[in-house]
Amino acid sequence: MMELINRVFGSRLGSKDDAKARLKLLLVHDQVDLSPAQLDSMKAEIIEVIGRYVEIDRDSVDFKLERSNGEIALVSNVPVRRVVARAV
Amino acid sequence: MSECIVITSGKGGVGKTTTSANLSVSLAMMGHKVAVVDADIGLRNLDVILGLENRIVYDLVHVIEGECRLKQALIRDKRLENLFLLPAAQTRDKSAVNPEQMRKLVEQLKAEFDYVIIDCPAGIEQGFKNSIAGADKAIIVTTPEVSAIRDADRIIGLVEAAELPEPRLIINRFRQKMVDRGDMLNKDDILEILAIPLIGVVPDHEDIIVSANRGAPVAFDDTSVVGEAYRRIARRVSGEADVPFVALQPVGIWENVKRWMGLSAKAGV
Ligand SMILES: Nc1ncnc2c1ncn2[C@@H]1O[C@H](COP(=O)(O)OP(=O)(O)OP(=O)(O)O)[C@@H](O)[C@H]1O
Ligand SMILES: [Mg+2]
Repeated sequence: MMELINRVFGSRLGSKDDAKARLKLLLVHDQVDLSPAQLDSMKAEIIEVIGRYVEIDRDSVDFKLERSNGEIALVSNVPVRRVVARAV
Repeated sequence: MSECIVITSGKGGVGKTTTSANLSVSLAMMGHKVAVVDADIGLRNLDVILGLENRIVYDLVHVIEGECRLKQALIRDKRLENLFLLPAAQTRDKSAVNPEQMRKLVEQLKAEFDYVIIDCPAGIEQGFKNSIAGADKAIIVTTPEVSAIRDADRIIGLVEAAELPEPRLIINRFRQKMVDRGDMLNKDDILEILAIPLIGVVPDHEDIIVSANRGAPVAFDDTSVVGEAYRRIARRVSGEADVPFVALQPVGIWENVKRWMGLSAKAGV
């Protein structure tokens, strides 16, 4: 809300949003001890597997580690176009 | 029922010693018998913040090595007869003490005092391990900055792994003005990230430096808003429920307008 007001009244977006976003990412990686590069290769592999069963929109795949209340979750949103015809 | 509380942070310079001194003074002013231990061996500071540096004869390492009795090393604060400091050794290092020795020392202190407050050194090595060894509870100090919060998170993990139940958080050097313009993480942002209970917010304030210059912790000053923040933390520490957060001063017309419009988060210490 504050941010909205600040924006409406023309002041720049506060740096605390950067701080918060960076911290969230940082703490997740600290906790799972997985580098962003490793996360990327995990993402590629998982998408590869999903792609064998359903046709997906690879560009809009959302894939990230999130933390709330100290618990880490792998949160992913994979838009499906259609099921791939089974090659049986 | 006596209790040992360690004040820790991971990152250096965020306010552990300032917090230890002021929490101890505040608890003693409430009538509790308090011993505050400087566990920062080799970099002793708490004596200076408390204004007791000229009265040190023996220190923590002397006690542990059996060169003096505990009573001989404890320095009684002349302003508060139920406040005592156990100073750190200045010419030794952290390896002069081990966790088992600290545990025994704390046990001895707990037999005499209502509260034993331990001022932990920065870092996660020996000094930290010594400091948490005898503690029943932990208070984590952080500032509203990315690096301090990151380290606090790491320390919370270590404290929990050491089976100290439910660490609580003090946010130090809080600047309402910067929060109001969106340039500082606010209370809720930090709590969302660290997910431990808050026990106090201490404003960034000149009074801290003035009181450090004088060797008289700001908690002694009943006209100071920072002093009040510490006194309220002490009330929460001693188990008083629902101690209200003190409203921080409005910082300008624009903030007042936002507050009047009900748009600003309620500020408090
Ligand atoms: N709320 C505050 N407002 C203004 N200055 C502060 C505040 N809290 C701490 N400081 C200043 O920050 C500096 C570091 O504080 P302090 O020595 O308490 O930190 P520390 O965590 O014990 O440091 P170390 O890790 O070196 O032991 C001191 O100069 C102190 O005066
Ligand atoms: Mg210190």
